[in-house]
Amino acid sequence: MTLKRIVLLDNEAVQALRDPAHHKHQRVLDEVEFALKRVARTLSVRVAVPAAVRVEAGWDRTAPSWAFINRFPIEDVLLDTGHANTAAGIAKRTGVSVAYAHIGAVIHSMEADHVMVLTSDPVDLRKVAEGKPIQVVTI
Amino acid sequence: MTREEAIDRINELLGSTDPETINTSMRIPKALREAAALAVDELGVAPSTTVMAANALRSLLEATVGLAVLELHYEEYPQFRPTLANLAVVAAEWDGNPLAQQPELIRRYAEEIVQRHPGAEPEDVLLWAEAREYTAAAQKRASAEQASQADQRGAA
Repeated sequence: MTLKRIVLLDNEAVQALRDPAHHKHQRVLDEVEFALKRVARTLSVRVAVPAAVRVEAGWDRTAPSWAFINRFPIEDVLLDTGHANTAAGIAKRTGVSVAYAHIGAVIHSMEADHVMVLTSDPVDLRKVAEGKPIQVVTI
Repeated sequence: MTREEAIDRINELLGSTDPETINTSMRIPKALREAAALAVDELGVAPSTTVMAANALRSLLEATVGLAVLELHYEEYPQFRPTLANLAVVAAEWDGNPLAQQPELIRRYAEEIVQRHPGAEPEDVLLWAEAREYTAAAQKRASAEQASQADQRGAA
C-alpha cells in the first residue's frame, strides 16, 4: 500500500473543523468526509497537521474543548530537527509565519505522490511550496 | 458502551505505542492469504503480509472511526451533512477536474442525476456532468454547421 496523498490542514482549516459556528465549518466537513471515504476505499490517504500549525491554532489534544476534532484520525507532523532547519530557511526566504514555514517544510519532505493543503491563504502556501507541485484547496 | 465511548476507546488503542504483538486466531480465506503473499513477494507492496494486513486494518479503522464521528456530528447538527453536490465539488478538486472551477454547474448536474440514480456517488456526478457538457457542445457544433450550410445554400 503506497501513500498516494497527504492532506495537510492550516490554522483556519483546524479552527473551521473544530467549531460548528465557524463560517467555513461546512466547507471543511465536506473535505474531511470525502477524505475519510477515500481512505476507506483506497487506504492511501492520510490527513495530518504540522505541529506548528497546532500551536498557532491553540490545539491542545489534552483539552476537553478540542474533544470533537481529537476524534478524527488527524496525525501530528512533528517539528523535528530536519523540519526545523527547512522551516527556518523558508521563513527567512519568504517571510511567512512559523506555522506556514512548517507546512512548507512538510511539503518539501513528503514522499507522497500528491500533497494537498486545505488553506485559507493560497498565496502564502504557494510561497512556502517554493515551486514544489502541490494541490491547494482554498477553504 | 456508548458510540462516543467506543470511538474514544478505539482511538486510544490506535494511538497506543505498545509494541506487544499477539497471535490471532482470525481465519481468512486461503486464497486471500495466498494473494497477499504474492503481492508482498512479487509486487513489493509491503515488507510482509502481516505488515500489509495491519496497515490496511489500521487505515480502515481510522476511516471508519472518523466517519462515525461525522455521523454523530450530523445527528446533532443535521444541517451540516454534506450534499451530493458538495461532495462532487470536492471530488472535482481532488481529482483535478476542470469542473471544480464551475461548482454551480456541478450542483445543477448533481440535482439532475439523483432524479435518475438516487444512490449516485460524487464521482458519478462528475461523469454525468462531463457527458452532458460534451453532448451540449456537440449539439451546438452541429447546429452551427447546419446554420452555416443553410447560409451557403441561400447565397448560392
